[in-house]
Amino acid sequence: MTVTPLTLGIPSKGRLMEASAELYAKAGLPIERIGNDRGYRGRLTGVDGIDVAFLSASEIAGQLRDGKIHLGVTGEDLLREKIPPTDESIDVAVRLGFGPANVVVAVPECWLDVAAMADLDEVAEQFYRAHGRRIRVATKYIHLTRRWFAAHGVTGYRIVDSSGATEGAPAAGLADIIVDITTTGSTLAANHLRILDDGVILQSCAVLALKRELLPDLRVQVMLKALAKAL
Amino acid sequence: MAGRSSAEREALARQNAAIMAVFERAGFDHIAPDIIQPADIFLERSGEDIRARTFVFSDPDGNELCLRPDLTVPACRYHLSHAADATAESRYCYLGTAFRFPDELLSPQEFNQAGIEWFGDHNPVQAEARVMKLAIAALEAAGLSGLKITMGDLGLFNALIDAMAMPERWRRRLKHQFWRPQAFRSLLDRFARPSTQKRTAISSHVDAIAGQDAEAAVAARLAALDFPHVTDRGVAEIAARLSEKLADRSEAPLDPAMVKLIEAYLAIEGSVTDVVADLAKLPSSPALDGARRWFEARIAALEDQGLNPRRFHFSANFGRELEYYTGLVFQIEVEARNAPLVVAGGGRYNDLLHDLGAPSRVSAVGCAIHTERVKAVLS
Repeated sequence: MTVTPLTLGIPSKGRLMEASAELYAKAGLPIERIGNDRGYRGRLTGVDGIDVAFLSASEIAGQLRDGKIHLGVTGEDLLREKIPPTDESIDVAVRLGFGPANVVVAVPECWLDVAAMADLDEVAEQFYRAHGRRIRVATKYIHLTRRWFAAHGVTGYRIVDSSGATEGAPAAGLADIIVDITTTGSTLAANHLRILDDGVILQSCAVLALKRELLPDLRVQVMLKALAKAL
Repeated sequence: MAGRSSAEREALARQNAAIMAVFERAGFDHIAPDIIQPADIFLERSGEDIRARTFVFSDPDGNELCLRPDLTVPACRYHLSHAADATAESRYCYLGTAFRFPDELLSPQEFNQAGIEWFGDHNPVQAEARVMKLAIAALEAAGLSGLKITMGDLGLFNALIDAMAMPERWRRRLKHQFWRPQAFRSLLDRFARPSTQKRTAISSHVDAIAGQDAEAAVAARLAALDFPHVTDRGVAEIAARLSEKLADRSEAPLDPAMVKLIEAYLAIEGSVTDVVADLAKLPSSPALDGARRWFEARIAALEDQGLNPRRFHFSANFGRELEYYTGLVFQIEVEARNAPLVVAGGGRYNDLLHDLGAPSRVSAVGCAIHTERVKAVLS
């Protein structure tokens, strides 16, 4: 009898890839690449029936949501952005701890009068009356931004989709404020941006996420136990 | 299910023809507003929350367009482009598809709205009563009975706030937050205890402008801190808000009796004719007396239309989710399988035409019927 192998998505490059490889090696389930070193397929050794797909970190959440992979290591920020809170079919099984970073709301330092989200709501309304347009928020986290702003009653804004160098958008005149990910905050400070007092949307780190229905699967259980020991 | 069979299509068309006949017989001009609209108008007016529910796309030049999420704004745009005088009285009706991403309630992403919009009305309470009458008559013509009508009145709330002793900036903020019950609550608490506010990241900037010309102080502070000035927010705008924060520090707290009064008002509900007695207990002021007279005149106008307002429900809280209304708001529900279903809603929105480009404020009142919901209740 053959069992359908599970597919585990692992980031294909960068710090997340290296940290994932180290962790799985430490857990006694080293990732083995199939074919040449540049290939995008692999498997876990030490447990049968788990294939590895090397994907860009941003694709992993979407592929998990669409059922194209069964498990995946990715940033919690990307997972929460791609998968709505109402979707209960996907679960964070383990917070892996590496890749810590916060998704934050940051405003120009020159906005001396804005400390918190409640200020932002007032500014948004006054800005609209004074300038006839909405304040613009540059971000790649469209859904996280909408949910956070809605939870704080802020509605009078527009999102400007920004996939790179978001922190430069206010200085470039492309946006007024930003929602972005930051580790030390030094890039924000260098760009004369300040995080709001209640502006931390998410304290993110790398997570192992999976389809909830797979939790009882024996292979998954073996993997989770090994990871728990290694962490 | 994808699409409608010929029988389903015909049944819906028959029902909607009965609805439209009521509007047309009442003298409303049957127009066909555009389906594709410039996205900016919807997004700039309502902000990002409506964008999350609206189908937005780009034309080959990169301009953002959308499929209309409702027909009120498209009807306004029709009026502004066709009427020789945008402020002249005009009465329109329409039947057309609106498009929204389904929400958690699994509503369909395309559905047909039948509605009326009455612009530049001269006798406000009569126009409001007439619109309610026509909405009810249209639903009954479609075959519905047992309609449950709920009304609210933002004019009363605004008049109540205007009648209270507090700084104008507090009034503005309370009216702005009326739509968001939680934020409204925390604002009230803040005004009731202004001196107990915690220091924040910007408190030192507020300190710095005390006793100074605020604008000059802000400019000097930005230079001293080496904060470059970016975005279109001017130094004057930043200074004005810091000055308000400074003034808030020494402002007398909102009288606890006023807080109680606002709470008491928001708790008012009951039969439209019964709440007149509750409203009479609110204090007297020119604005509030005017709003009360208006409320009572509307009851009389509803009776003139042959309606029985004794059976309509009033709730001071109602309308707190619907942003663009400025006075009367109402909705009509019917008992469906196990829960009431909203089949129509409407109200007064006197700011919208001006926001969309009319040369001055134009009074406006209207309503829209969710025709698929009517069909669902009937079948």
